[in-house]
Amino acid sequence: MANTSVYGLRKEKWSLLSLVLIGAAVLVPTGRGKAAPSGDEIRIGVVLPITGSEAKAGQYQREGIELAIKQINDSGGILVKEKGKKLPVKEIFYDDGSDQAKSAGLVERTMTTDDVVAVLGGYSTALGEAESVMPDRYQTPWISPGAGAAHIYSRGYQYVFGTLSPIDSLGYTTAEFLGTLVDQGKLKKNLGIALALENTDHGIEYGAGVERWTKDHPGYLHVVFSEKFELHGTDYSGLLLKVKNSKADIFLADAHLPDYITMERQYIQSGMYHQMISYGARGPDADARKALGDATNYIFAGLWWSKKLPYPQVKKFVAEYQAFTGHEPDSYYPAPAYDAMRALAAAIEKAGKLDKTAIRDALRNVELKDSLLPGQVLRFGKNGQLNVPFVIVQNKPDDKADIVYPKDAANGEAVAPRPQK
Amino acid sequence: MNTVDFLNLLVSALLLAGVYAAMSVGMTVIYGVMKIVNLAHAGFLMLGAYFVFEVNERLHLDPLLGVLLAFPVFYFIGITLHWLMVRRIPRSDQPTLSSLLLLFGLWLVLQNLGYMIWGNSDRAILTPRTFSTMQIGPIIFPTVRLVVFGAAVFSLAALEFVLHKTWFGRAVRVLMQNPDAGRIVGVNVDRTARIAFGVGIAFAGTAGGMLAMMYSFTPDFGGSFMLRAFVIIVLGGLESFSGVAIGAVILALVETFSILVIPSGYQPAVAFSLLVVALVVLPNGVAGLWNKRQRWA
Repeated sequence: MANTSVYGLRKEKWSLLSLVLIGAAVLVPTGRGKAAPSGDEIRIGVVLPITGSEAKAGQYQREGIELAIKQINDSGGILVKEKGKKLPVKEIFYDDGSDQAKSAGLVERTMTTDDVVAVLGGYSTALGEAESVMPDRYQTPWISPGAGAAHIYSRGYQYVFGTLSPIDSLGYTTAEFLGTLVDQGKLKKNLGIALALENTDHGIEYGAGVERWTKDHPGYLHVVFSEKFELHGTDYSGLLLKVKNSKADIFLADAHLPDYITMERQYIQSGMYHQMISYGARGPDADARKALGDATNYIFAGLWWSKKLPYPQVKKFVAEYQAFTGHEPDSYYPAPAYDAMRALAAAIEKAGKLDKTAIRDALRNVELKDSLLPGQVLRFGKNGQLNVPFVIVQNKPDDKADIVYPKDAANGEAVAPRPQK
Repeated sequence: MNTVDFLNLLVSALLLAGVYAAMSVGMTVIYGVMKIVNLAHAGFLMLGAYFVFEVNERLHLDPLLGVLLAFPVFYFIGITLHWLMVRRIPRSDQPTLSSLLLLFGLWLVLQNLGYMIWGNSDRAILTPRTFSTMQIGPIIFPTVRLVVFGAAVFSLAALEFVLHKTWFGRAVRVLMQNPDAGRIVGVNVDRTARIAFGVGIAFAGTAGGMLAMMYSFTPDFGGSFMLRAFVIIVLGGLESFSGVAIGAVILALVETFSILVIPSGYQPAVAFSLLVVALVVLPNGVAGLWNKRQRWA
């Protein structure tokens, strides 16, 4: 009786059935699998999370890449001198499900079996880090539009590139912005900062950036508290109590979206107040504003890109993106992905052939002068990572968000200190 | 830390214990009666969250009403799933590989179903209650957590009442203690298991709805809560409902107060260290220790 059900099926059959069920669930969202052998086309592997915890960002980045590919193909493709003609771009897409091991495995798979000339992938530092060991192993250029941690690019890899500026610069720019508020007399000198950092390389580098600026500019701001927290936490009351007891004037956290929402809710409930608050790169996200309502007002964020940047190419991109996807680019995610694909196309054209090492060499020298990103010029650094300025955006009432720093890109004044209710 | 901070932290811990107890009850019901570890528990937490979200968004009903509605809806879902799949799992007095794999597979299916229906945006429920607090002197009680705490206490009390005062409850208890003896005295095992599975899923769905009032969620939601539910039911004793309450309180207190001495980044490590300690030192949980003391007395 213990080994058979009332229907007479044995345990082993049920185990097998269960395994099939799991297999089906795991395999369904994986992607298109191996495509037909290439002919007159340029194959690009794309590995991004469309399911799992990073799905939203991955979806936006995929849309950015696919818009760039569509525009390239609509103009006839990429000119490859060796072939004497323009070739269309063929995307080979895989969903890594926000899983590090799967992400690395899929990059390896596309580099070894799909006949791709380059791979775009790795949204989030964690997934990008997992993928980054593959490019040099298979001598295939890899551009990450979503991994910003500098240490990925500091290991001497030769085929690794990234279109996100270092996280350290995010922290540095955040502190620099606060410094300008001190210069303007909006904030007093020598205010204390409390740092709550996600327990990842992203959080560590953000904190390092803030501390670096405060050390470079003594007398402006100083860090009075710094602690890491685990992502997807269920309760931040203990951490917030420590922040409160640190008597800091400014609260800077580096968090993912769900943690931003949970932490800010508990922050409000506990009746805390700081003159300025930031959650790193989170702030104007539409989902957060829906979840938190007016509580997001005056929170500021450091972003890699904003649709409000006053460049003509940004306005054009926003319109084209909306027409292509049916929704606005309400976060920074699609822009670095769009530019990553355009930089790759420019490098392939410059290389004049589909040789991966030649494309890698061309990527090192490629320069996009109409980049969407702050500064408008995309040029990879010696380590393969882009290093362009960040923009600081501050939420305002009625779902508005203004660029408040740097000055040449600003379309609104920074409100500091935050109004106290 | 002054006394006010200590009391505020204590209140936070106890309210968190309410959240933890609410999400663990369903798993304990199913394990107790059927010896099935419901690895799809997180999937039902997620579905419960979306159910209450939809009720709030489309019907403009208060999320609390949505939570109440979730109980019968998820009971029906549980009964249907039992009829479709779970009753076909070979019976055993220990968790079997086939039941683990089946329910893990079901979790993955539910997740992907969630992505198909709701996409991958972070959703949350925002009501005037979201940020409201009650203050007694210097002690702050977030209203939502207080409501969830009350609901958890009510759920556990109702369950205790049903278990001790009704025929179904007695049938459940006898199946938890000695299934063969239950059969001999005429307990309808299949019917009791079906209802218990339905009740377990109903508790998971309502707990998901309650969590949705506090946290944002995606189809990936529930995993970290399910892991904590494991810790709680092991701490409480795998088949004890009062043990769930004790386990939830212990976990919440340890997690909350440990932050004062170690960085909060190590919070999950604290929870799982507690699990290891419980398995080694208290294999039958706190409830087992209590029973042993009573026998000695």
